Amino acid sequence: MSSFDLVAPASEEEAVAWLARAPTGETAVLAGGTDLLNDLEEQRIAPRHLLSLRRLPWNRWSWTGPALTIGSTTPLVDLEYDPKIRSEFPGLIGAIEAVGSVALRARATLGGNLGRSGSASDLIPMLLALDASAEIVGPSGRRSVPVDALVVASRRPALDPGELIRSVLLPEPRASAYLWQRIRPAQDVSHVGVAAAFSPGDGRWRIALGGVPPRAIRIHPGASELPGRPSKAALEAAARRAAERLPLATDLRATGEYRRLVAHALVIRAVEAAGAMREGAP
Amino acid sequence: MSGAGRADAPVKLRGAAVYGTDLSAEGMYWGALVPSPIAHGRIRSIDLAPARALPGVVAIGADEVAGLLPKGAAAETPIFPKEEVVYRGQPVAAVAAPTRALAREAARKVRVDLEPLEIWGSIDTLLPEWPGADPPRIGALNAHVHARHGDLEGAFRSADFVLAETYRTSGVHQVPIEPHACLARVDGELWTVETSTQTPFGCREDLASILGIPEPQLVVRGSWVGGAFGSKGSALLEPYALLLAKASGRPVKLQLSYPEEFRLGRSTLPSVIRIESAVRDRRVVGRRVRLVLDTGASLPGRDFTLGYSAGFLLGPYSIPAVEVEGYALRTHKPPFGPHRAPFVPQCTFAVESHTDHLAHRLGIDPVEFRRASVWTEGATTGLGQTVGPFGLDAALARAAEIVREWRATGPPGHGIGVAGGFWSTGTGAGGEARLRLTPTELEIEQGEREIGSGSVIRGIAVGVEQRLGLDAGAVRVAYLDTATAPFDSGVFGSRTVGALGQAAEKAADALRTELGRRCGVSGAAAEQIRLRPSPEGLVVDLGDRRRAVRELLTPEELARGGLRVEGRHYGRSGTIDERRVLEGSFHPFNDFVGAAHVAEVAVDPEIGSVEVVRYAAIHDAGRVVDPTTARAGIEGGVAMGIGTALLEETQWGADGRLENPSLLDYRLPTLAEVPPIQVEFIEGYPGAGPRGAKGLGEPPIVPVPAAIANAIFDALGVPVGELPMTSERVARALKRL
Amino acid sequence: MSAVPAALKVNHRPVDLEGVPADERLLDTLRWRLELRGTKEGCRSGGCGACTVLVDGRPTLSCLTLTRELDGREVTTIEGAPDHPAGRAVLEAFESEGAVQCGYCTPGFVMALTGFLGRTPRGHRSTERLLRELQGNLCRCTGYAAIARAVDRAGREAP
Repeated sequence: MSSFDLVAPASEEEAVAWLARAPTGETAVLAGGTDLLNDLEEQRIAPRHLLSLRRLPWNRWSWTGPALTIGSTTPLVDLEYDPKIRSEFPGLIGAIEAVGSVALRARATLGGNLGRSGSASDLIPMLLALDASAEIVGPSGRRSVPVDALVVASRRPALDPGELIRSVLLPEPRASAYLWQRIRPAQDVSHVGVAAAFSPGDGRWRIALGGVPPRAIRIHPGASELPGRPSKAALEAAARRAAERLPLATDLRATGEYRRLVAHALVIRAVEAAGAMREGAP
Repeated sequence: MSGAGRADAPVKLRGAAVYGTDLSAEGMYWGALVPSPIAHGRIRSIDLAPARALPGVVAIGADEVAGLLPKGAAAETPIFPKEEVVYRGQPVAAVAAPTRALAREAARKVRVDLEPLEIWGSIDTLLPEWPGADPPRIGALNAHVHARHGDLEGAFRSADFVLAETYRTSGVHQVPIEPHACLARVDGELWTVETSTQTPFGCREDLASILGIPEPQLVVRGSWVGGAFGSKGSALLEPYALLLAKASGRPVKLQLSYPEEFRLGRSTLPSVIRIESAVRDRRVVGRRVRLVLDTGASLPGRDFTLGYSAGFLLGPYSIPAVEVEGYALRTHKPPFGPHRAPFVPQCTFAVESHTDHLAHRLGIDPVEFRRASVWTEGATTGLGQTVGPFGLDAALARAAEIVREWRATGPPGHGIGVAGGFWSTGTGAGGEARLRLTPTELEIEQGEREIGSGSVIRGIAVGVEQRLGLDAGAVRVAYLDTATAPFDSGVFGSRTVGALGQAAEKAADALRTELGRRCGVSGAAAEQIRLRPSPEGLVVDLGDRRRAVRELLTPEELARGGLRVEGRHYGRSGTIDERRVLEGSFHPFNDFVGAAHVAEVAVDPEIGSVEVVRYAAIHDAGRVVDPTTARAGIEGGVAMGIGTALLEETQWGADGRLENPSLLDYRLPTLAEVPPIQVEFIEGYPGAGPRGAKGLGEPPIVPVPAAIANAIFDALGVPVGELPMTSERVARALKRL
Repeated sequence: MSAVPAALKVNHRPVDLEGVPADERLLDTLRWRLELRGTKEGCRSGGCGACTVLVDGRPTLSCLTLTRELDGREVTTIEGAPDHPAGRAVLEAFESEGAVQCGYCTPGFVMALTGFLGRTPRGHRSTERLLRELQGNLCRCTGYAAIARAVDRAGREAP
């Protein structure tokens, strides 16, 4: 006998209506399940009901001019194999490829990652650097919220009761890079992840650092502090300031001071890698 | 002949091989173990009632054991603790239930009430230095070994300089991809367990001593084994599964979850190593070494590792004055267990790093420095044992050539390191094999299971095929249980080909003699006998004439499945000079197997990450029995060694908790971390195996951490001194932190 | 509200999902309900790749997949690999390159590689991509060397 029941609504309205009626604290939302199922196996959670999103038409993406909207249940592997996304959002692809393995990414989704992972996420730093926002659907309709405001900590998205993450919007393609440091290069949790993206709109860099609880930190250096094509010294100084903002958190993977050392080096490298992709920027 | 087309590949590729995890039986129950929630505590009570309240659940604890065992059975060690738990995760009770989920739930329902006691946790803070340091005082002393030889004081007094270094190593786990699993049943007097084991007879012996049941009433049948690496060498789950089968009256399947595999499996634990060398006239004239080994909850007197591995710390070099001392400490962790070449890669890491540092200090090429004092046949070890044929010098000479070639072709900034290593095989442990000849086929009847290396399915068949002139693959290997197979010691210690293989060859010789007798030939003529396949079945080729096997077998033999002949091989162990031993026991080396490895690394000097970009392994193999199998084993051992060197580490809390019991936090190498591996063999230094073969199971992992450490030292000029050499530890060595 | 589940197919044969509990994982359905124990249970938490199967042709971890989530989809396991065009080439490559030792990781490797080759035409199978596809599959015996040789061969020979 199953310890929970599994509900799979066929429409967004049904899903929202069901969730609105569901007993709070006894319900979990199932997207790809790669994280949720481990929590269930280890008995970290014991929900009575699982709301599966698999039948909702949220497993695809669309372009609106330069903007990309990614349905929250799109398997990461689908994004990674799409040539256009690969060329327009290289940093996002780099972050996706840092998540687990190919077979894990066949189930893992962007929405699940936003809803469940905090400090360990490789995707959230990149979404922050791309100024991504999430479209939320709930009892009072749809709303848009910046990823920066949505992700608070692991497994605690800033959602109201009954709300679901419907999609993620990336406003524009950006020269971008995601670099990480781990004990094992393949298939490991990054103890530091650095995303860098350059916005041609305002001529400013976005940098985000991940790896430390509660979640990634977004850094938005001014154009004078970190120009589009920074000198070595400016980049070095900006990287130092960015790394200093990383909390000194020590865990099994790394000490806080080592994380700062790595963050400093990777900010420089990520900006250089993203910068090398740019053409015609100021 | 090659590993390609190995006889077990098709069944494994069809998904049809039945491993321990795949075992099942009609009406089977699933078992689960109830772990101690703390590392050290006095048992107040263990209440099984809440588990028993679940439908169909059977629960057993310390009080039930005696009633389940046959009358008169005298268990040597308690199966469940009655008074005190000594490591976290120690089974205090067990349950069986109709489904796996229910068994897990029932295990969680058992109420375990313990009074916490002081925990002996980490040995990390120990500094085992000379002179004058007290013996380490953390934990209890399980074992102490001490040996010395020569004028040590004189050597140190007259030295040009002394290099004294401390090394630390972390615990590493075998992590076979298949977790431990078995299926037990009790039918009347007969207690039977099918299990994923590398030593069926050893498992039976363990069960006899743990349960107190006589061996004839115990049957162990090996399943296919999904990797072992030392972890499946003694009984672990089998006693619990058998007791649950007895209690429930049903077949019981017991399988560890991965977190349990990490917490309950017997793995290697941390150590601190001190090495001091006195150097005069550019040679090491005196060396003292001290090994402090965390042996967890191992019982005193049960530890084989200390007296074995400590001998390796002196290195494969002739040194006039030596002292070696080892301490095995008891802590509240799971008992220490053997991991491929138990603790020798760690000892080799220390002594071979130290050797490079000595060469560096002297300004001598590290390979030339080694070759000036490396053992060759006839040399004497620090414990007074005479070295047999040993190809390490030849392997080092070849390594030097590879270094020159790589220096000329590699990018600047890369580091290149060499390490030598040696191994002593377990060929002293004996074995027996039986050949069964039918009119159409020849089969080896034996009790081991193939664990992956090919040492059973190919290793023991090759010699029989060659002796009898048959094609590769013509001889089948049959896997029998312990009730029907002739005895063998197990698949471990690089002994399988050397001991069981020779037993099979002796059986082949006996078969030839017997067939010769039946054909009326003997002596040299019988030795020329070959078996040939023919459309009518096997024929005996006597050179000038042929006889069908069918005609040579008696009606009784035909009725009983064929002609059976047995062969036995019980090797001799080496001897050490006991006058040099002051305390405890040291183990002699049985066979001297050398290897020199070359690693090339790229080190990120800012953040310390290390990538192994090229690797070469040169092995003194005596005589290569099967090149493809030998090469595959070396490639696998190197990969495992890369894990020990750079990635793998069991992280223990001060409370005895294993903090990283998962494959995400305990990192095995993936194919991204393993570079191309160049494998070469040195022949001409015969070992104890068939026609001079030497075992290759353990040697490939032995020099790996040292070779990589020396490559990092070459790149950076600073030693890391601790395993694994994670990027953070490298960054610390670089004083970046 | 949840409709009667559509059939799941395993190696082309329909499987009735009606009696499958909501919390049952595909790994357990395959191994214990359908007696297809070629798919191996390793870590059960997505870290070893031993349980990899194909879902609609994509390599997927069966330990992290609820069976009931797969209504209307097609699962291919190691038992079905010989009927898969790329699968056949992969099996032959693993055998002829001696890439099988203890064999426990083998089904996962075979399915991961089969999934990739089945969806990736020749000319797009660079060694780098091939190896990246297999980083989630752990092997403790071979050191990946013989597996890399088999991967190379399968990449050349699979249709």
